[in-house]
Amino acid sequence: MAGCCDGCTILKKDHAKGCRPVPDSREVRRFTVALAGNPNSGKTTLFNGLTGLRQKVANYPGVTVEKKIGLCRLPDGTWIDVIDLPGAYSLVSQSPDEHVATEVLRGTRSDTPAPDAIIAVVDASNLQRNLYLVSQIIEMGRPLVVVLNMVDVAERRGVRVDAEALERRLGVPVVPVVGHRRYGIPELLRAIGQARVAPVPDWPIAEAMRGEIRRVAGIDPMQADIEAHYRWIEDVVAVCQSTALAQGVVESPARQADEARVHPLTVEPIFRPPTHLSERIDSFLIHRVWGLIAFAFIMGSMFAAMFWLAKPIQSTLSVFIGMMGSVVASHLPGDALQSLVRDGIFAGVGSVIVFVPQIAILFLFLAVLEDSGYMSRAAFLMDRLLSRVGLHGKSFIPLLSGFACAIPAIMATRTIERRRSRLATILVLPFMTCSARLPVYGLLVGTFFAVYGSLVQAGVMLGLYVLGIVFAAAIALVFRRTLLRGQDSGFILELPTYKVPQPSVVGRQVWSNSKQFLTRAGTTIFLICLALWAFSYYPRLPHDQAGRLPDEGARAAAQRSYSFAGRLGRTIEPGIRPLGFDWKIGVGCIGAFAAREVFVSTLAIVHGTGTDDREENLAASMQADRYPDGRKVWTPLVTASVLLWFVLAMQCLSTVMVVRQETGGWRWPVFMLVYMNALAYVACLFLYQIGSRVWGG
Amino acid sequence: METVALSELPPGTVAIVESVHGARDLRRRLLEMGFCNRTMVTAIRRAPLGDPIEFFLRGYYVSLRTEEARCVVVSPIPAASEEERSTPSGLRLRK
Repeated sequence: MAGCCDGCTILKKDHAKGCRPVPDSREVRRFTVALAGNPNSGKTTLFNGLTGLRQKVANYPGVTVEKKIGLCRLPDGTWIDVIDLPGAYSLVSQSPDEHVATEVLRGTRSDTPAPDAIIAVVDASNLQRNLYLVSQIIEMGRPLVVVLNMVDVAERRGVRVDAEALERRLGVPVVPVVGHRRYGIPELLRAIGQARVAPVPDWPIAEAMRGEIRRVAGIDPMQADIEAHYRWIEDVVAVCQSTALAQGVVESPARQADEARVHPLTVEPIFRPPTHLSERIDSFLIHRVWGLIAFAFIMGSMFAAMFWLAKPIQSTLSVFIGMMGSVVASHLPGDALQSLVRDGIFAGVGSVIVFVPQIAILFLFLAVLEDSGYMSRAAFLMDRLLSRVGLHGKSFIPLLSGFACAIPAIMATRTIERRRSRLATILVLPFMTCSARLPVYGLLVGTFFAVYGSLVQAGVMLGLYVLGIVFAAAIALVFRRTLLRGQDSGFILELPTYKVPQPSVVGRQVWSNSKQFLTRAGTTIFLICLALWAFSYYPRLPHDQAGRLPDEGARAAAQRSYSFAGRLGRTIEPGIRPLGFDWKIGVGCIGAFAAREVFVSTLAIVHGTGTDDREENLAASMQADRYPDGRKVWTPLVTASVLLWFVLAMQCLSTVMVVRQETGGWRWPVFMLVYMNALAYVACLFLYQIGSRVWGG
Repeated sequence: METVALSELPPGTVAIVESVHGARDLRRRLLEMGFCNRTMVTAIRRAPLGDPIEFFLRGYYVSLRTEEARCVVVSPIPAASEEERSTPSGLRLRK
């Protein structure tokens, strides 16, 4: 691949004839083809096969549907644009994905050129339902090529499709392809030039039906239309598929019985669905007992990988970046510049990069689960649990990932096609106890519950996790009943045939999601880190005041309380007093907006115990901390209130940025910030006010 | 023949779709997924937690929540008797 035209993986034999350079993307408008097809029809594998590495992934403006455009070279040397449309079952759209696919096909999107030809990808092992979309595309009257994909899977399932018969029947080129083996792709490239407008079938039965419908009141045209399409499909399938009857459509039970008498051999398969490998895997993987055990195992290993595999990578990365920062800073003049580089720029870069290992690992799992076909089984297993609170079976994996980190988890909600379920999942995801809360819980529980023994401590920790889940469930239910009311046109979930995941598809998923995070959310997170740095660095404590302080720790504490962050902490103190917080806790909570665990280091600074991770010092200082009137700052009730705040409040601004990236605007992230913090405030207020009256503070 | 809701179809039973009801969007999607009149549907299994239900039709598998399956009215085809099942060829012969 190296040398003459990098990235070009197609038509290797043509390279010998001399290769033209990859064209500039700013060139005049090229011939454009759109790949359309059902979900799970192997579209993405085919897209990768056609375009190699020359792909651009972006979003359609205003929606979170991925826009994938790639360059592809035809045998005659011309370059064409290929658009990979999101999977759709129908052109009467019911999901954002389908809506975009329909608009692009109709050429009504201003951001995407109308395709000059359409490649309809059809799963040969599931011909009938896949041809429904094709029948709709035919009605659009655009040049069309039909790709009969996964013919190998079909043959293994005993379904042989006669491509030539199908071609004669449809009147457009039909190319049998095995996407992941690249079988049939050269033929497809040649066929693109021969794309033809398919003659629109006169839907003969449709017309007859329509006439009848007008007479028989009560049957609506929509149903008649869809059924007419399917009748045409059944006719088409009957001529080109060797086991048409096995797919199970009959005129009437009576005729069925008739045929059974004559051809028991052909009728039998109708009564029993196939028992191929995929069905045998399913009889285990969605079995009442084994299915749940296997599910727990798969989810467990995914979570363990996110939690334990990513952790060492993350800490190595942050130690390395921290060291780099110190080294670079030590060569710079001036305290302010050093701090900017070390605590601002490098720390900012570090706090963005630190998410990448988790994102990469989660998307590796997601891509494998999705591409193999297990994702829909996971949704099938868990839907009951989640539908009770108005969520979707597919909300499970994002919610589970939320226990590690909300950022990859929110990105993972992309697998939920239903808009309302997806939004509801995003809105409650931060209630899941992420790993950044652990240092905070560890400090508070370890400091103030140590006297009750480790069993109580473990109980409190568990209680905090459960509390997060309970709130997530309750709030999800509230949103689905109010703000996000209404059915998302049903659950209706296909359980596709199992496949071996394609490394190319998986690799691209991991790569494009990590890159998207770095370039979109990452830049904003970095800027926020810089702002938070300046906020706690400026204004500087006057030299004469600093000089009077005994040691480094005291100077750092005084500086922090003198800075904007410290002043804000004092300013808001009247506001947070009713929750039981003093200004130091306030400063800590402000620091936690960078990341929740920053609460601990901020507290350490304002307590003058330094940032050397000596938590015993901080714990002792917190226990000894008193108001001027001698009352203890950290009573058990205050501790409970702070813990409750950390369970409920939306603090992590990186999460807010990712929500903006995923929802395509400021509306939802701002709403989240407001509702979660309002909820946390009210809950802590209730807890502290009622608590202090009952137990006297 | 007696009709039942698709949600009531016992696992392993084959039935023929008689009609599809429910909200327009749901009905459209069900029809588009192939639940047209006179289509054969086999109930495969319920999810371990009782919902949704997996079905086989037109050569593929799909799962519906109970409330959605309730919108599809079907007439079950009587199952083969044990005697019929044990014919040497394993085939079903109907009289």
